[in-house]
Amino acid sequence: MSKSVTQPNRLKEGGRIDRSRKLGFTFNGQHYQGHAGDTLASALLANGVDIVNRSFKYSRPRGIVAAGAEEPNALVQLGSNEAAQVPNVRATQQALFDGLVARSTNGWPNVQRDVMSLVGKLGGRFMPPGFYYKTFMAPASMWMTYEKYIRKGAGLGRSPMEADPDSYDHLNQHCDLLVIGAGPAGLAAALTAARSGARVILADEQEEMGGSLLDSRELLDQQPAAKWAERVLEELAGLDNVMLLPRTTANGYHDHHFVTLHERRTEHLGETAPLVDGHRGVRSRMHRVRAGQVLLATGAHERPLVYANNDVPGNLLAGAVSTYIRRYGVVPGNKLVLSTSNDHAYRAALDWVEAGREVVAIVDARANPQGDWIDAAKAKGIRIITGSAVIEAKGEKRVSAARVAKIDLDAFKVTGQAETLACDTIASSGGYSPVIHLASHTGARPTWNEEILGFVPSLVKGVHAAGSARGIHDLAAGMADGVAMAAQALEALGQSARAVELPQVDARREGPACALYQVPHEKPTLRAPKQFVDLQNDVTAGGIELATREGFESIEHVKRYTAMGFGTDQGKLGNINGMAIAARCLGKTIPEVGTTVFRPNYTPVTFGAIAGRHCRDLFDPERYTALHQWHVENGAEFEDVGQWKRPWYFPKVVNGKKETMFDAVARECRAVREKVGILDASTLGKIDIQGPDAREFLGRVYTNKWEKLAVGKCRYGLMCKDDGMVTDDGVTSCLADNHFLMTTTTGGAAAVLEWLELWHQTEWPELNVTFTSVTDHWATMTITGPEARNLLAEITDIDLDRDTFKFMDWREGKVAGVPARVFRISFTGELTYEINVQANYAMHVWKTLFEHGEKYGLTPYGTETMHVLRAEKGFIIVGQDTDGSVTPEDLGMQWCVGYDKPYSWIGKRALTRSDTRRTDRKQLVGLKPKDPKVVLEEGAQIVFDPKHAIPMPMAGHVTSSYYSPTLDSGFALAVVKGGQQKMGETVYLPMADGQVHEAEIVSPIFVDPKGERQNV
Amino acid sequence: MSNPVVAKARTFDTRTEANIPVESPLAYSYQRSGAPAPSAKSRVVLRERAMLGHLILRGGAIVLDEAVRAVLGFGLPARPNTLSHSEDGARSIQWLSPDEWLLIVPGGEEFELEGELRNALGDAHYAIVNVSGGQTLIELSGEKARELLMKSTPSDVHPEAFPVGKGVTAVFAKTNLILRRPTETRWELVLRRSFSDYCYRWLLDAGAEYAIGVER
Repeated sequence: MSKSVTQPNRLKEGGRIDRSRKLGFTFNGQHYQGHAGDTLASALLANGVDIVNRSFKYSRPRGIVAAGAEEPNALVQLGSNEAAQVPNVRATQQALFDGLVARSTNGWPNVQRDVMSLVGKLGGRFMPPGFYYKTFMAPASMWMTYEKYIRKGAGLGRSPMEADPDSYDHLNQHCDLLVIGAGPAGLAAALTAARSGARVILADEQEEMGGSLLDSRELLDQQPAAKWAERVLEELAGLDNVMLLPRTTANGYHDHHFVTLHERRTEHLGETAPLVDGHRGVRSRMHRVRAGQVLLATGAHERPLVYANNDVPGNLLAGAVSTYIRRYGVVPGNKLVLSTSNDHAYRAALDWVEAGREVVAIVDARANPQGDWIDAAKAKGIRIITGSAVIEAKGEKRVSAARVAKIDLDAFKVTGQAETLACDTIASSGGYSPVIHLASHTGARPTWNEEILGFVPSLVKGVHAAGSARGIHDLAAGMADGVAMAAQALEALGQSARAVELPQVDARREGPACALYQVPHEKPTLRAPKQFVDLQNDVTAGGIELATREGFESIEHVKRYTAMGFGTDQGKLGNINGMAIAARCLGKTIPEVGTTVFRPNYTPVTFGAIAGRHCRDLFDPERYTALHQWHVENGAEFEDVGQWKRPWYFPKVVNGKKETMFDAVARECRAVREKVGILDASTLGKIDIQGPDAREFLGRVYTNKWEKLAVGKCRYGLMCKDDGMVTDDGVTSCLADNHFLMTTTTGGAAAVLEWLELWHQTEWPELNVTFTSVTDHWATMTITGPEARNLLAEITDIDLDRDTFKFMDWREGKVAGVPARVFRISFTGELTYEINVQANYAMHVWKTLFEHGEKYGLTPYGTETMHVLRAEKGFIIVGQDTDGSVTPEDLGMQWCVGYDKPYSWIGKRALTRSDTRRTDRKQLVGLKPKDPKVVLEEGAQIVFDPKHAIPMPMAGHVTSSYYSPTLDSGFALAVVKGGQQKMGETVYLPMADGQVHEAEIVSPIFVDPKGERQNV
Repeated sequence: MSNPVVAKARTFDTRTEANIPVESPLAYSYQRSGAPAPSAKSRVVLRERAMLGHLILRGGAIVLDEAVRAVLGFGLPARPNTLSHSEDGARSIQWLSPDEWLLIVPGGEEFELEGELRNALGDAHYAIVNVSGGQTLIELSGEKARELLMKSTPSDVHPEAFPVGKGVTAVFAKTNLILRRPTETRWELVLRRSFSDYCYRWLLDAGAEYAIGVER
C-alpha cells in the first residue's frame, strides 16, 4: 500500500479548513491526509481521488458530483471494524476525523478493476429499464438466488454483523417556530423570531451553519458573507429561547407540524461516540419536534445538465466546484469547461480562475447572456461560447475533453459542428430546484413556476417557506423573505415580530436563465452515449424515453419502471430533469407531467436513531407484581400476559436436573388437587366501583343479575359487547350497598375500565357511579386445595368455619398480621381463599404462608397449571375459549344471562337476533380423545366425517387442550357446531401429518361435576 | 385496626402499625439494577418517596373543594392540570380529570383522612379510593432533570409551558405516569407499581449521560 501525503488539489490558502490540524484517513485501503474542517469528499478531491464508486447497474466508474446531501455517487461504507460498519454514508456529508476508514459501497473486487463493468459495458445496450424485472423474476422462486449475486456486485452498503457499541435516543422538543436550514433566509428568519421572543429551533444538516453564505462571492455590508453568518449565530447561541441544532437533518415532516430531526452528535468525532467521564455519549439523536409553525429555508439544489457521458469522473455541479474552492480550499481539477443555462453558475469559473487554474471556456446555452458576472468573466479573459452546450464528455476514468456544439433549444437538436475542448473537469448548471421534499411530505403537491424553472412548494397551514426554498434565489431578496416569512409565522401564532435590519448587499445585474435539461446530441437519445439523469440509480434519458414508448405515461409509473428517484437519493438531482425528459417524449409540459411524491426520509436515518432507547430490555414495559422477586429467586419460568410477566410454572431442580415443563405442571396440578397450591393472582384487573347507582350499572354491563347480591357476597359476572359476544368475565364482590369490587381478566383490565367509562360518560351519565383502578394497590395470593383452610387458619384471625365463611363470601381480617380481604372464590374447583393485601406487604404475607405451608405441601404454581385446573372444571378463559364470536349461550352459560332484568343491558338486543339463536352455532363442549395418551393440538380443526372429500366442512376447533394428571388423560375444550346436542358423538381431527385423531364430545366439566370440592 | 362500616361504602385500613416488613414498588429494582449514589458529577438526582398515602377523589368540584378545605385547610387546585398543596408542601392535590383528583399525604394519614372527608361530604355523590399500595412517587432534581424528562415524555416541560404548580398525566417512554412540578427545581413522577421497575430502568439508562445518582 503506497502512502501518499500530498494533496495536489489543495490550495495554499483560503477555505474554512484548519491547515494546522492534519487528519489521516483510509479510503479503499489507501492512506491519505486531510485537514480539520474537511468532509471526506473534499479530502478525497484534495488528494486527487477521481473514482469513488461504481455505478449501481452498469458498474461505471463514478466520481464526486456535488458537495452536499444531493451527492448521488460518493456513497461509502464506513468503519474500521465490524461493529462500526455504517452503510451508504455520503462522503460529502461525512466530516473527516483522524483515523476514518471508508470504502466504496460498490465495486467488486474494487472500484478500479470491476468485474461487473464488463457486464455493464458489454451488456449496457441489453440492460434497458426493467431489466432486472424482466430477466430475473422468473421463476419467482429463483429471485432470492439471483439477488444474492446481483447484490454482491451491484448492491449498496451492508449492515454490521456485530452489535452496535453506540447508544441512541430521542428528545421531545416543542417550539413556536422551527426553522429548517441555516442559510441566508433561515438565519434571517431565526433572528427575527428569536429577537421577537419566540421559542425557536434552528436545525441545519451541515457541519457548519451558514449554508450558501459560507461559499458566497457576495459581500454583506462589504464583508465576506460568512462573517455576517458568524455574527448572527453568535447572537442566537446566546439567547435562551433559541436552540441551535447543527449536523441535524429534518428527515421527515409528519402530521400536525410534528417533524423529526436526526442529529448526528458524534459522527464527526469518530466512528463510535467518545467516552466522556467514563460514559459513552449518544451517537445520534432523534428530536421529535412539535412545532407551532414551521419555516422551510431548505434552499435549492443545482440541477446538472444531462449530456452524453455526464457521469465520467470529473463532471461536477458548478456550485459544488465553488463550494470546494471557497469552503475547503480544494480545486477539483486543472482545466475547466463550464456548461450553463444561467448567470449564477459563472461564479464557478470565476472562483476557478482566482484559484490559479485554467478555465478553458464557459459554454452558455443562451444566445446573448448579459450580467455582471458575465462581464467579470469576460474581464478575466475567459472564452465564452454562447448558444451552445457541452453535448458529450470524453474520457473513461476521468474527463479528458468536452465536445461543445451549438444547439437549438426549441427544436432539441445540435445545429453546428462540435468542437472538442481538452479539459479534465466539466462543471454544469441547468438551474436550481427548490428543496421541496419536506413540504412534499405533508402531502401538498408542488406547483411549477415557469419564471424560476422549478417546482415551488405548496404549503399546508402552519408551514412557511422562505428564500431559495420557494424560488427566491437572489441573496438580498432571500434574506428579506426570511424576515417576512418569520413575521408571517409569528402572526399566525398571535405574536408580533420585531424588525430586523438586514445587511447591505450590492445589487447584481443578472439575466434570465433558459430552460435546458437534457442537452441534445448529434445522435438520437436512444443511440447517443448514455446521458445520465439519475446517477445513483443509473437511469438514463434513453431509459426514460424507452419507458414512455413502452406506454408508461404517468410520471409515477415512469419512476417505478426506471427506478428514477429511488433509494437513498430520493430524486434530489435527477427528478426535474427526468420529468422534463418525460414531458418532451410525451409532448407535454412539465406541469402536465407533474412530479412524483417525495417521501421521508430526506436522507437515510440510522435505525438506532429510530429505535432510540426502546431496545433490548427497554423494548417494551415489563410489568411486575409485588412478588416478582420471589418468583425469580425460586426459578419460575415466565409467561408474557399482556405486558405482565407471570410465573408460567416453577420447575424444580432435582439432582442438578431441571424438571421438564410437563413434569412440573403435573406435580403442581396434583399438589392443588391433593394438598394445597398457591398462585400469584395480582395481575387480575381490579376496579373499585362506588356510587348509589353502582348496582344498576353492574346490571347493565353484565349479562346476569346484581339486584340481590348482599354485602359480604361475591358473584361471577359475564360481560358482552353490544354484539352479544362475550368480552370479559370475573368475580364482583359487594363491599357495601353502594360499593363493589370488580375483577377482570389480566389482559382485559385496561379495556374493561375504558369500556365502563365509555358507557357511563356517553350513554348513562345520569347514573351516579365512579370507577377507579385498584389493580396495583392490592396483591392477590390464591391458596387452593384441600389443605387451604388448615393453612390459612394458622395465620389469620378470620373465622374460617365453613358455615359462616361460605363459598362466594368475602371477609376482612388479618393475615400474617396484615390487614387483608379474603375472598372464597375458586378458579380450580378446590377449596380456595384469595387473600388480598396492600401490595407493599405482599412479600411478607407470601413468605409467611410458605413458613406455615411446608407441612401442608404448599406448592407454588403458575399460569399453565392454572389453565389445566380450570379447564378440568370447564371454566373458560376469555380470549382463549372465546374469540369475539361466542355468546354466553354458546358457552352453555344460560344461567348467567338475565333476560328478565327490569332494564336493558349491553348485548341483550343482540342475543335475541335470529343468528345468535341458531342451534347450529359453534358451542363449547369437552373433548375426550379416544386415545388417552393424545393431547390434541389447540386450534386443531374438527370434522364430523373424515372421509368427506376435501375440502371437508369444518365443524369447529379445539380451544384449550392439556394433559390432566387427575384424569391421567389428555382432554380438551372445543367449540363444535351444535355441540351441546351431540354429547357422546365422535368427532375427528385430521392433522397436517395425515393422522386423524378421534374424540368423543363430552361435558366440558371433567372433574367434580357437582362442584362439591370448592364448597367444603 | 379500626374498621368503621360506613353504610354506603366500605373503607378499610390496609396499613398496619405492626412491625411488619414493607417493600416499596422499587425494592426489587434497587437490588437488581442498582442505585448509583449521587456524586459531585451527578446532574440529575433521583429520590423515591415511598409509602406515602395516595387517595383518588372523584366527584363534583364544589362539594369536594368544600370538604378538603374543611379537613385539610386548602382547597382543590383551581384549574385543570395544576396542583394545590398545604403550606408546608407535605400534602397536595392534583387535578387529573374533570371529576378526579389525586390527594397525596404523608404515609399513615390516608385512612383517617378518608374517614374525615367522608364525614364532611355527607350525602353528596363522590368516591374516595385508597391506592397507596399501587403507586410510588419519584423526585427528580438537578440541572439536567428537565432534559432527562424531554427524553422520556412528549409533554412540553419547558418552564413556560410547565410552570411550577403544573401536573399532568403524561406518556412516559412506552407507558404513562403522573408528572408534576411542585417547586422550581423539583419534578415529581407518580408511578404505578407494576410499571415502576420499567420506569426506573429507563431513568437510569437515559440519565447515565448525566451521571444520575439515586438518593436512598
